[in-house]
Amino acid sequence: MHVEYPKPRWTDKFLLLDMLEGLKTTFRELFKPKVTIRYPEERLEPANRFRGMFKFSFDRCIACKLCALACPIDIIYIDVHDEQREVDGKMKKLKVLDRYDIDVKRCMFCSLCEEACPTKPKSIWLTTKTYELATYDRSDLYFNMQQLEYWEGRPEYAGLPADESLETKKIEGGTA
Amino acid sequence: MTQDLLLRYLIWPLVKFLVAFIIVQVIVAAMNWVERRLLGLMQARLGPNRVGREFGIPWGLAQIVADPIKFILKEDIVPSSSEKVAYFLGPMLPLIPAFLVFCLIPYGPPPTFVVTHVNVGLLLILALTSTGVYGIILGGWASNNKYSLMGGLRSAAQMVSYEVPFGLSIVGVLMLCGSFDLVHIINYQADHIWNLFPQLIAAFIFLVAMNAENNRTPFDLPEAESELVAGYHTEYSAMKFAFFMLAEYSSMMVNCCLMVSLFFGGWTMAINGYGLTTGVLRGMGLLGGILGALIFITKVMVFMLMYIWFRATFPRFRFDQLMDLGWKWMIPLALANIAVTAIVVLLGDQFDFQGEVVLSIAGAAIIVFTLILLLRPRAKVTHARRVSEA
Repeated sequence: MHVEYPKPRWTDKFLLLDMLEGLKTTFRELFKPKVTIRYPEERLEPANRFRGMFKFSFDRCIACKLCALACPIDIIYIDVHDEQREVDGKMKKLKVLDRYDIDVKRCMFCSLCEEACPTKPKSIWLTTKTYELATYDRSDLYFNMQQLEYWEGRPEYAGLPADESLETKKIEGGTA
Repeated sequence: MTQDLLLRYLIWPLVKFLVAFIIVQVIVAAMNWVERRLLGLMQARLGPNRVGREFGIPWGLAQIVADPIKFILKEDIVPSSSEKVAYFLGPMLPLIPAFLVFCLIPYGPPPTFVVTHVNVGLLLILALTSTGVYGIILGGWASNNKYSLMGGLRSAAQMVSYEVPFGLSIVGVLMLCGSFDLVHIINYQADHIWNLFPQLIAAFIFLVAMNAENNRTPFDLPEAESELVAGYHTEYSAMKFAFFMLAEYSSMMVNCCLMVSLFFGGWTMAINGYGLTTGVLRGMGLLGGILGALIFITKVMVFMLMYIWFRATFPRFRFDQLMDLGWKWMIPLALANIAVTAIVVLLGDQFDFQGEVVLSIAGAAIIVFTLILLLRPRAKVTHARRVSEA
């Protein structure tokens, strides 16, 4: 296979039309809209499945610790105590969360904790669109339960359209 | 008497030079920002647009001030193995001729707007500008760095080989105007026509050669970023580096001034003696002079922007291509231009017609023809077609 170029005419050669054509092109580019985003003033919306900052829901969480087990770098710290409580007129033993901390500075946003979570909807999820996590102090990146639940964030992933929604796998023992 | 002489030959030229120098240096400093911004705009991005926002200065204009301040405050690092004296001299040497030349350029109608009226001004300017290469070689060698040395050597070879077409392209203009005096050349153009038309080829060669002289793209081999880090100024930092930049932009400015004076009618805006000739501008007094200077600076700025336009458009030459273009194309072309000009002018004298008019018509015809070819509506450019072999 070889490539055949259009044959230049002598006028094109002697009048340097190619170069002038190039100059014309760059001149036109001058007035075209630019692609640059002026970051702090303008922001791009991340993609729908973007993995951003954690969001946690105390009400949904059943304190099963599966997320902590799933975490490949063990940065989820969970403390639980048992409590006798009355539910529907019966005394039941319930697990109550004392501590749910995430050391976000070491997190790699793999989202395995989200996959591992057995509650529906998930009680820990990363599909928020907040990515501005930089801080001036390392300790600011250690989040506790309250902080994980009540931070002001950017909109969350609304979910896929119904027809192609991927049912998250049910977890049957251990990590997914 | 002595006071008169002192005023005439020392004080006035000095004041004029200072004013011109300051204006030119402000433009040079601004060029840095203009270049970055324009390049950005031509490359689908924005360029520096933030500095000065806190003080309400739009479009990042405070970059013009911020850059020199940064250069002054930065640490001046001298490589321990460098040749100290030569290393120090490197950035100074190109600066001196680049600054000196500004007192030889006529900015407006004489005598007020001409610093020194030298009747061989053009020769003097050429002699001065060509010494700029010493600093580059010296700086490149003294850095004791192979990349710097390569940059310096390339620069030397390039500047020497492009000095020849640079000088030869002017000869045609000199033959038409019959003087080395820039003021005379400009007046001649106002009385006839911009030298662009009778000397179109010379103007083209001059444009190419001045790009090569200043190590600008597509001839920026001495500082080829992708090959030589930064070429001859790799080891330079802080104010010494700024001096190199200053010299480069100043000599760009000088070459643009020369281009405008030689081919585009300098401070005048006239054809065949009609329009804003020197006489008309002088008749308007100081206002006319300022108008002339403004016309001059506008024309110069067009060419400064052209440098940036070229930089945004053309890719860098290979070194052998560069030498090829210089020696095999530019010099023969310049010589041919001289021969044709000489023959036409002589024939005109012999057979009683104006040779210059013939040349002007030819030049204008080429320009019109090129523009027609360039701007004609065409089918979409067919790209290289793949042909599969049987």
